[in-house]
Amino acid sequence: MVQGPAAVAAPGRGRGRAVTALLLTPTSLWYLLLLLVPLAILIVFSFGERSPVGGYHPGLTLENYLRLPTRQAAFVNTLVLAVASTALCALLGYPLAYYLATRAGSRRTLLLILIALPFLTSFLIRTYAWFTILGANGIPAILGALGVSPRPVLLNTHFAILIGIVYNYLPLMVFPLYVSLERLDKRLLEASKDLGAGRWATFRQVTLPLSAPGLISGALLVFIPMMGEYIIPNMLGGGKVFFVGNALVDLFLQSRNWPFGSAAAIGLIMVVLITVSIYLFLTSRGRVQREVSQL
Amino acid sequence: MDREPLTRDRFWKLYHDLERGRITRRRFLEVTGIGAAAAVIAACQGGASPTPGATATATPGPTGTPAAEWTPPEGVDLGETLNLTSWFNYHDQATLDRFKELTGVTVNLVTFGSNEEMLANLQAGGTGWDVLVPTNYTFPTYVELALLEPLDMSKLPNFDLARQENRFLEPAYQPPGSTTLYGINKDWGTTGYVINTDVVTGEMTTWKDFWDRTRDTYSGKVTIHDYQLTSIGNALKYYGYSFNSVDPAELKKAEELLLDVKRHLFGITSDYQPPMKSGDAVMAMAWTGDAVQLNRTIPSIQYVIGREGGEIWSDFYAVVASAPHREAAYAFVDYMAVPAVAAKDALYHGYPLVDSAATELLPDDFKNNPIIYPAEELLTPLEFGAAVTLTDENRAELWARVKSA
Amino acid sequence: MARSTALAPAPERRAAATAAAGARPPTDRATRVVGAVFRGHSALIYLFLYVPIALVILFSFNAGDFAGELRGLSLRWYGEAFGDRFVMKALQTSLIVAFASATLATAFGTIAALALQRVPPALRAVYDGLTYIAIVIPGIVIGIASLVFFVNAFDWFNPLVGSLWPGSLGEAPVLNLGIPTVIGAHVLFTMAIVIVLVRARLAGMDRTLVEASYDLFATPWRTFIQVTLPQLAPAMLAGYLLSFVFSFDEYVIASFVKGQDTTLPILVFSQIHRPPVTPKINAIGTVILTISLSALFIVQLIYRRQTRQARALAEAAAAAEA
Repeated sequence: MVQGPAAVAAPGRGRGRAVTALLLTPTSLWYLLLLLVPLAILIVFSFGERSPVGGYHPGLTLENYLRLPTRQAAFVNTLVLAVASTALCALLGYPLAYYLATRAGSRRTLLLILIALPFLTSFLIRTYAWFTILGANGIPAILGALGVSPRPVLLNTHFAILIGIVYNYLPLMVFPLYVSLERLDKRLLEASKDLGAGRWATFRQVTLPLSAPGLISGALLVFIPMMGEYIIPNMLGGGKVFFVGNALVDLFLQSRNWPFGSAAAIGLIMVVLITVSIYLFLTSRGRVQREVSQL
Repeated sequence: MDREPLTRDRFWKLYHDLERGRITRRRFLEVTGIGAAAAVIAACQGGASPTPGATATATPGPTGTPAAEWTPPEGVDLGETLNLTSWFNYHDQATLDRFKELTGVTVNLVTFGSNEEMLANLQAGGTGWDVLVPTNYTFPTYVELALLEPLDMSKLPNFDLARQENRFLEPAYQPPGSTTLYGINKDWGTTGYVINTDVVTGEMTTWKDFWDRTRDTYSGKVTIHDYQLTSIGNALKYYGYSFNSVDPAELKKAEELLLDVKRHLFGITSDYQPPMKSGDAVMAMAWTGDAVQLNRTIPSIQYVIGREGGEIWSDFYAVVASAPHREAAYAFVDYMAVPAVAAKDALYHGYPLVDSAATELLPDDFKNNPIIYPAEELLTPLEFGAAVTLTDENRAELWARVKSA
Repeated sequence: MARSTALAPAPERRAAATAAAGARPPTDRATRVVGAVFRGHSALIYLFLYVPIALVILFSFNAGDFAGELRGLSLRWYGEAFGDRFVMKALQTSLIVAFASATLATAFGTIAALALQRVPPALRAVYDGLTYIAIVIPGIVIGIASLVFFVNAFDWFNPLVGSLWPGSLGEAPVLNLGIPTVIGAHVLFTMAIVIVLVRARLAGMDRTLVEASYDLFATPWRTFIQVTLPQLAPAMLAGYLLSFVFSFDEYVIASFVKGQDTTLPILVFSQIHRPPVTPKINAIGTVILTISLSALFIVQLIYRRQTRQARALAEAAAAAEA
């Protein structure tokens, strides 16, 4: 992460150390009590057994992890849709961010605020609006009036979930992209043009690589929360598309199988951590390679 | 005073108006005659001096100010708040407001979507809940986990065992057959399915009809509950098995049916009113109250109880063992046991009542509505959900397989 | 978002490498077409973003009974929403949660970010790792894990305090799930966000001012108040706003640790899932939008005035120096 500059040589080292410790105390407490201990409890639970009336019964078994393949479909669904929607956000968000950074002119600030504004209404109400738009009285009715027959069913499909996800996560992709594109040195683009590079070549060889950091953080901002998403599939998928989030809710709140639920939660954390680490590794290696190849 | 005769349609129009706030509650009670009945009952019970009603803003009607139907227990400190955990659209705000007027206790309503969620939260602990509204099949689990307390009947003077229909109350006796009561009835209902008769033609009387026609004529336009208890239970009825079966071979058959049906469904959701209204769905597994509300909005939507059977259920008021406001909890349960109070509340939620004296007070249009009070021969084959049906591991896993398929 | 600053842009000499590409320079017409395509694409995205919101607002003025169909216009549902005690209570709860979460997160996150500059790299790596996990971990997992933790902690804490509590002080306090646990669980995430933002700002900060301040024999405290804090203000403000918006609208974590308290998203969720869904939902959504917009507007005003003051101060300083 971010490396701060060297510590300021404040007078009184000993007292300085005490102050530092004091400043870190609330954060340490939070990380210990609300992150590490809860995760430790989940890990302990994941090796336990379900008591006959539900909940947790102490035990030491790997069975919960061995049963994870029964939720394979949920994991696959989640990964596929998370990757697809991240890609779609990038595809839709990039031209918009590019437009805002290079061509929007004086309206830029207003247009940027307008991207963030939807976040200021309730997420649930925003998503519920799509429930109405995609339902039989919404777009299908309009298409029907235009003579499309049979009227398409949009609600409770993968398509509806994808729309809901892109709608809610697109701004998270646009902002980092905008920041990296806005910083882009215009002289580089001119140099590229002067050297006879075409539009596409300039984009591919100058703009895209230089905006890669924004693309990478945007993708992470979209992908990570997507992996735990269960409200959007719940509201727009009609219960027919099963995500890991839905599997977890069912295990904890419906069948109350806490040990299996804990194992599934640990599984989800692992999948997220591994995917993100591989992604960061690949993207950083790619960058190093490109830099090396230039020498 | 309004002289127009009270027809069934007029009653529902008035009820509808009342619900939407177009007329006052007093006006509604006055026209339907329920207010008078309530006042009479209250007078018979020797209610205290009249206090301003919850509808104090309304012009006084001929029935006068509603009497205090219930008086708080004397010499008991009830505190200031009460946490009621229940379902959405299940309690009339006026009923809760009236309780506050009478006792000074503010009722803080928390709502949930399923019994399992309530149970999971209560099992996790630290909820601060006082009064809970559980369904019949949860009692053995709650009692085994010591989450509810056996009711102290001396604190419920308005509850009269003689007025109750035992089949609805029975599940609250724990252990079964004992005389220890853990809850008193709020209301009851059934699980059947709604059909939009504008689209769905031909006779629909059984669960076999429901599942078969889902797979042909109405493919893509049907919803079932996102609830293993009812969805698996009613799939079992297709083969004539018990709604509560946990027999592996029988469950296997139900799973095959559900897996086959899944691709024909519009949704697996307990939120089926919107698609039924919009036309996305023409058939949906449904509970009594939703059927009443749908039928009221769109009269062509009819309610069917499968002839093979299915589920009948009853909901209760129970006191949470760890209740921080125990006295207020008892006071509230006792308040709801007053027939006039329960009857008024029923006009809001639309579910049938168990207490015969409360049922007496309901208007004929309510009592004669076949969705609310189905014919007895339809009720006979119905089963109450069993505790094991709720907690069975195999049913839970079966449901996860169906949903993730 | 700090990651974008962390990953330095590739060297500028890259541009030279593109010289090999031999495409023709684009014509003016092509430029116009490309410009139109960009504009069109952006317009469509804004349409996509705003049609649902426009519908939410439009339907909030619905005179009809259902959220799904428009039947004349009225303010009726605003009356219903404002007259609904549960809605008002939930709104109040959500505001308390959001204010507390944003304030705690900004205060604790900022001091932690400052402290992290002065700890050994190994320790810093540990905290960075935890911050990373706190952000990456799905809300649903943290909700479940916090619930289990709180309940176990209370089970242990309440009897202990109960047995130690002197009877003369009345009844012993009992810890329960509720607003404080929701705030606690939210602060884990929001604090991590603030730490990342403030650390990014610290990394890009002009250190010469701090050193100048020390050269002028200012105490560390004075230096902090007069030099460091103003420079950190934008990151802190951004962190505060992000935390507030997150906490105000968060459903998943809150649904697990809410206990007897109901936040606005929880109320909205239960209304959406228990029909009939009335336009009251839309009225609530519009009210939320109005509140957020006004908050944003006020912050913008304060911010502008501060920048103006800062600029005036800088000009005065420059003048004095001259």
